[in-house]
Amino acid sequence: MKRIVVAILAIAAVASGAVFLLPAQNNKVKVGYMTTLSGGAGIIGKQMQNAVNLAMEHTNGKLGGKDAEVIFVDDQRKPDVAKQLANRLIKSDKVDVIAGVIWSNLLMAIHKPVTRSDTLLISSNAGPSPIAGEGCHKNFVSMSWQNDQTPEGMGKYLQDSGVKSVYLMAPNYQAGKDMLSGFKRHYTGDIVGEVYTKLGQADFQAELSALRAVKPAATFVFQPGGMGINFVKQWNQAGMNDLSKLFTVFTVDGVSLPALKDTALGVIATQTWSPDLDNAMNQKFVADYQAKHGGYPSFYAAQAYDTMMAIDYAIGKAGSADTEAMRAVLADGGIPTTRGELQMNTNQFPIQNVYLREVVLDSDGVATTKVIDTVFEDHGDAYAKDCKF
Amino acid sequence: MTFTLLLEQIFNGLQSGVTLFLIAAGLTLILGVMNFVFLAHGAQVMIGAYAAASLISITGNFYVAALAAIPITFLCGYVLEYLLIRHLYQRDHMDQVLATFGLILFFNELIRIGFGPAALFSNLPPSLSGFVYILPDSPYPVYRLLVIGVGLVCAAGIYYLVTRTKIGAMVRAGASNESMAAALGVNIRLLRRFIFSAGACFAGIAGIMLGPLTAVEPGMGEPLLILSLVVIIIGGLGSVHGAFIAAVVVGIVDTLGRVVLPLLLRSVMEQSAADGAGPALASMMVYLLMTVVLVFKPTGLFPAKG
Amino acid sequence: MDLFKFLWTGVKEQQMLFGLLTGFALFPIYTAYADLPFWNDVAMRIMLLGMAAMGLNLILGYGGMVSFGHAAFVGIGAYCAGISQFYGLNNGWAHLGLSLGVCGILGLVISFLALRTSGIYFIMITLAFAQMLFFLFVSLEQYGGDDGMSINRADFMLFDLYNPLRLYYLIWSALLIISVILLFIVHSRFGVVLRAINNNESRVEALGLSPLRYKVTGYIISAMICGVAGTLFASWQEYVSPDIMHWSRSGELMIIIILGGLATLAGPLLGAVVFFILEELLPELLNLVAPSYAENWMIIFGPIMIFVVLFARGGLMGWVSRLAARRMSDHGVGQ
Repeated sequence: MKRIVVAILAIAAVASGAVFLLPAQNNKVKVGYMTTLSGGAGIIGKQMQNAVNLAMEHTNGKLGGKDAEVIFVDDQRKPDVAKQLANRLIKSDKVDVIAGVIWSNLLMAIHKPVTRSDTLLISSNAGPSPIAGEGCHKNFVSMSWQNDQTPEGMGKYLQDSGVKSVYLMAPNYQAGKDMLSGFKRHYTGDIVGEVYTKLGQADFQAELSALRAVKPAATFVFQPGGMGINFVKQWNQAGMNDLSKLFTVFTVDGVSLPALKDTALGVIATQTWSPDLDNAMNQKFVADYQAKHGGYPSFYAAQAYDTMMAIDYAIGKAGSADTEAMRAVLADGGIPTTRGELQMNTNQFPIQNVYLREVVLDSDGVATTKVIDTVFEDHGDAYAKDCKF
Repeated sequence: MTFTLLLEQIFNGLQSGVTLFLIAAGLTLILGVMNFVFLAHGAQVMIGAYAAASLISITGNFYVAALAAIPITFLCGYVLEYLLIRHLYQRDHMDQVLATFGLILFFNELIRIGFGPAALFSNLPPSLSGFVYILPDSPYPVYRLLVIGVGLVCAAGIYYLVTRTKIGAMVRAGASNESMAAALGVNIRLLRRFIFSAGACFAGIAGIMLGPLTAVEPGMGEPLLILSLVVIIIGGLGSVHGAFIAAVVVGIVDTLGRVVLPLLLRSVMEQSAADGAGPALASMMVYLLMTVVLVFKPTGLFPAKG
Repeated sequence: MDLFKFLWTGVKEQQMLFGLLTGFALFPIYTAYADLPFWNDVAMRIMLLGMAAMGLNLILGYGGMVSFGHAAFVGIGAYCAGISQFYGLNNGWAHLGLSLGVCGILGLVISFLALRTSGIYFIMITLAFAQMLFFLFVSLEQYGGDDGMSINRADFMLFDLYNPLRLYYLIWSALLIISVILLFIVHSRFGVVLRAINNNESRVEALGLSPLRYKVTGYIISAMICGVAGTLFASWQEYVSPDIMHWSRSGELMIIIILGGLATLAGPLLGAVVFFILEELLPELLNLVAPSYAENWMIIFGPIMIFVVLFARGGLMGWVSRLAARRMSDHGVGQ
């Protein structure tokens, strides 16, 4: 019996020793960056990782003028793995900031333990409503958007351009419902159909047939990731462009466009960022990213870059990586990002422009998006009023 | 809902049904005849789709690429059987589950390393992107009709192979009693290798045809694997015609469930409740169908073994 | 190899089980000494999923009923805690009781229907029930749908679970109790009949026993164990979502059992330890050897499972006991 215990302890010692051959604590600024690197969604994580590394190159490996280190962790898109990694970043790596997080459910899973530990948590993508409203916490800052902001832009645009009727489609899960309710907040016209598809659905032909029978003037769709590739391909193949006009959010982006190419031409989307936004920081980011990795960065990459730039700005201005000091700087706004200077709402979600973008071919024939209009200027989210720190 | 729309939806259901059948046909023989639990069958679909998509970008011709991809998928099945699968036949089902689960991870990762994590570009050639009017006022994509056609031809071919040829007789003999078939001089080793490679090949054809319709990405086969398992369970293990009927039924039930069920619910309850329940119920339809079938017929509709 | 042979010499199954339990009991001392508090978290996750796997093993390993939907019970257990808390009931004991009740009833209904089938049909019908429950919880908007709900750690009265060590030992105690219960069940008359049914059902029937009754009872017990694991999982994670009910999670539980060794008490726990340690270590090891491929760690993970099947019949426990047996016979030859 004794030997077994010794053996298990020995194995545990070897195992943990192998992982933590890290040098002793020093006064470097440490950022834990959590994203999905392995498995199906690995492409998004890869783009974010590239962007974070690019940001660190642009700041010469420093954040706010201090030596810095970024520790990437792979959440495997599982909430329990994310929770465990967050704990490891806090307790073992003793990071100053945890950033990243693609998925709403993963952010929900780590929100409580991270904010409670007095570590700053910055989202590079997910922005679910519970933590924007009543469940908000002062140690959480979003450098992306609240889920509803982007579809609100599309609702407003269709309302303003006098579209009488619209057909809505989204996957049957929380983000899908958020997107449609965000859309309806600013659109008061006729909704001729509201369809929830299966999560992860590969074939939309049945929904397209049903849609064809209704012949709506406009169709609003939210189908992220692989579902977006499937949907836009099949929309195109079914000749739907002759019947209805396609308006989307988070359906065609820098990740899916290489797989769609000109199939997606003419698709309209709202977004808070676009590769052609005309500001110096964005131009530099897009050009360097293209030079280094070939192909356009996606909005995920841009938000990851912004996140690092925000940390850089916060530490620089606060003079230290103290959580409360950084938070105060970020809450004050004026953060330099690829979306221009960002202002912050009372719940520490950005107040930002929402742009209308269209899929076009650039001068080299590569599919990308171009800003054609600004729907909202300095648009805040609907939940900030419920947030009391 | 009009009759035209219903007809169109039945076509949609048929199209997804025959695609499912191509995946399920091989799997039902592997499970039913060879008594081998093979979970990596979805990877064969992925291999087919990747082979076709990359051959299209090399040759530039859809038809050449699609045809050339078929033997590749057969060969993949053959090599896999030779290297690994044949060592696993004598193991119990749980060992097979663990090993083929390991295979899924391995193949998905291999594809990610080889082709990158992003989805590949694949689209229809212009010659196949037109429409056919199945009824006046109801255009239907040519390519989807072609998928139905290829699926039906393959189904007829498999049916002929199983019921009318010597190989088929051996397969059927193996399905009902393997050791007896072996005693009567059937070369079980070769037969297994053939069934396995042919099954991989049909799954590959499904992948080739799905390529232009859906995202060609690592892990694209797993949801299809689960669905095709549902199909072969409803149809009865080892039964090819059972798998065909079940595939079409599953395809149509799934399609109509997605489109009709929310409308039906909306007519009997208030909108907000219907919007909540409809899609959830539609997602469950296929599993509900399988449960009901199994509760009343515990070995599926047309089991091969008495 | 020699080291392993030495360490595992003559280890019997129960010794392994209680060895692992002792290891888990002493582990926090080691992490405190080595200043690695994060590994307590890993150990808790391993204990929880190992606990669920032990529950599943009762029917999968001993009873030969391959349930491909047991993650659903883990999820139900977690939601018992989450939904009660949503309505203001924060007592952990009440959560556990509720979870035992709900999982028991659900286990009764599901197994009664599912046990009309057998073999691969049984695998698929249990999957079907789990999928239906999964989609049900994804669509329950008031409980957060698939975004899940953030919850507080349950109130277990005497224990303040925000003290990480108390949570650790609460989970450990549950694991110990379940291990002892399973030990009794497996060696009781009930356990013997369950194994006999697995070997030859008609013979059991000929003895005048009703196999269905034993199978249903076994299924209910295993569902309840998974439910307990789920309820504690919710407190550990401070968050509940349908993710834990996904079919891939059911597969994970099966894989852990087969990896560790079917129909052994220690197998699932050993499998969980190895499975999750590999999951932690492989990316790190790859990061040292080939940093650009660190996220492709599954290319090694997959073949490891294939090798376990090919070269370690009976999973890791089979391998361990064979090593021990060889060691014994080596001694015999030496004398």
